[in-house]
Amino acid sequence: MTPTPWSRRINIGEMLLALGTVVFGVLIIWQTTLIRLTPAYSMVGPRVIPYIVGAGLVIVGAWLAYEALTGRAPVGSTDSEDADPTLPTDWRTVGLLVLALIAYLFLIEPAGFIIASATLFVGAAFAMGSRRTARDIAIGIVMATVLYIGFNRGLGLSLPAGILEGIV
Amino acid sequence: MEALGDLARGFEVALTPENLLWALIGVLLGTAVGVLPGIGPALTVALLLPVTYRLEPVSAFIMFAGIYYGGMYGGSTTSILLNTPGESASIVTALEGNLMAKKGRGAAALATAAIGSFVAGTVATIGLTFLAPVMVQIGLKFGPAEYFALVVLAFTTITALLGSSVARGMLSLFFGLALGLIGIDTLSGQSRFTLGIPQLLDGIDVVTVAVGLFAVGETFWVASRMRHDPDQIIPVKGTIWMTRQEWARSWKPWLRGTALGFPIGSLPAGGAEIPTFLSYAMEKRLSKHPEEFGHGAIEGVAGPEAANNASAAGVLAPLLTLGLPTSATAAILLAAFQRYGLNPGPTLFRQDPDLVWGLIASLYIGNVMLLVLNLPLAGVWVRLLAIPRPLLYAAILVFAGLGTYGLSGSTVDLVVLYLLGALGFVMRRFDIPVAPAVVGVILGPVAEDHFRRALQIAQGNYTTFITRPISAAILVLAAIALVAPPAFRWWQAKRQRPQSTSPTSARIT
Repeated sequence: MTPTPWSRRINIGEMLLALGTVVFGVLIIWQTTLIRLTPAYSMVGPRVIPYIVGAGLVIVGAWLAYEALTGRAPVGSTDSEDADPTLPTDWRTVGLLVLALIAYLFLIEPAGFIIASATLFVGAAFAMGSRRTARDIAIGIVMATVLYIGFNRGLGLSLPAGILEGIV
Repeated sequence: MEALGDLARGFEVALTPENLLWALIGVLLGTAVGVLPGIGPALTVALLLPVTYRLEPVSAFIMFAGIYYGGMYGGSTTSILLNTPGESASIVTALEGNLMAKKGRGAAALATAAIGSFVAGTVATIGLTFLAPVMVQIGLKFGPAEYFALVVLAFTTITALLGSSVARGMLSLFFGLALGLIGIDTLSGQSRFTLGIPQLLDGIDVVTVAVGLFAVGETFWVASRMRHDPDQIIPVKGTIWMTRQEWARSWKPWLRGTALGFPIGSLPAGGAEIPTFLSYAMEKRLSKHPEEFGHGAIEGVAGPEAANNASAAGVLAPLLTLGLPTSATAAILLAAFQRYGLNPGPTLFRQDPDLVWGLIASLYIGNVMLLVLNLPLAGVWVRLLAIPRPLLYAAILVFAGLGTYGLSGSTVDLVVLYLLGALGFVMRRFDIPVAPAVVGVILGPVAEDHFRRALQIAQGNYTTFITRPISAAILVLAAIALVAPPAFRWWQAKRQRPQSTSPTSARIT
């Protein structure tokens, strides 16, 4: 792993990160003022720690802004085994992945766990570049069925059967 | 020696056929996820939390502990053969281990790592056996103020150690703390930050946060910039038996690594990364062959590997005796205890000795299993890496959905999971570590509870945290932990200008 390069230029992304952090902190403080206080409960109420957390975020945001403005912010992304941080974002793959996840969200209750999971598996594999779709469908169905039976029978979960009710 | 009697009882629990089976499942899963990219022990335990519905607590924790230990063994295999540390604690192993593999001594590197891990894991578990009762005695004397100070110490060390800058670690931590506030306040009964969504009254589940940030976030991140030139796996050549000379050069580093790893790991501020770096530096200095460092020195594998396994056992000491997790995996283990309605700490040793000592006994057994599984079979484990990446990450998403929806049966939780996954993506884009956020979610409510109880005892006097000497001392340590690393880096940069070769950013999956 190489040391993170230190940039001299002010980075727009860094400034947005700092700004977002401050805004998030302010939102927390604002929401904290809306927490009801029960008069019977006097000593340390439910607002104290939220105020501290909100203030902490504002301070961290200011700190990030200071680092960005003085060029001290480490510019870079997380290194990972399968991700190359130097590449630009491939929005097409991410978009397809999001579609697969949305399909899962809308399928899980009406169509059931097995169909939703198999769809997600095939869709996500396709999004990330797998083109042997017939094989993926087979693996997806087997895996989803094994998980369904294992977790429902073995561990007492109640994953939805959906339209396969009565069959599995 | 009361501890030995307790331990004997623990073995009675751990040696039942059923619990041996759970231990075996745990170490198998742990080694597999240690080898595989994109998924690690913390995430695996999080995904398996639904088992807490059915399984006896002691069986579940024996399996979880196997996953935790197994992840450490598996991580070293990929570090050596692939130069991609699966765990942040294996970064140092990759330095010399991969060079050894390139020189055709991969088998020896794997052997010294596995045997060293076994020696260190066993010695450190013995340490845990005798240290735990002592820490329980200390823990019994602590009040809420001291416990609050300990949690603050855990926060600052985890924040300062992970990631590329303290500010980023703090951002991650405070984000986690904010997430942890969502839901009904247990002390006053008021709802906080629920935004009028009834499903949020129970708070956001730890599993959703951990799985979203770790698994979904990592999948988005990989999908967005997939590596197309994967590292080459170096085939294992030669015999797994080390030569006489390799034994002679390994045994002292194993013991020294253990001596560094266990105490540091068992500190309430430990973690597994620091002892591996220290061990590497120590071996480099003490070696009779310092010129081999940077070209595949066996001491540079033996010492850090022992240190990382010893600290893994050490981390369990504050977790079990004080309820204080100092790593992401330990934090998820704490969440598992909470799911059973159990509170790790001094009282758990009295209330449920079979659970605690059964777990500790299982660590001895798990280490033996792991040695047998890893020494001859390292080459087999590496074949897991042949799984095509699209299928691996697609399966991770399926498990993420199962873990989240399976626990709650609510699609709202799936939406939260995806949103957290998107946040995990953004955090990776800005090199913000995700582990402090997960620790913040789990420990935040614990910290608030201690904080408010301490103030109740002190009649609302906020100085209680600094007028009680132990609490004050711990808080001073927490401040040092936050200030020391940047100060050290600044001092180092001043001393020797451009050359900073220490890997500073670590990642935990």
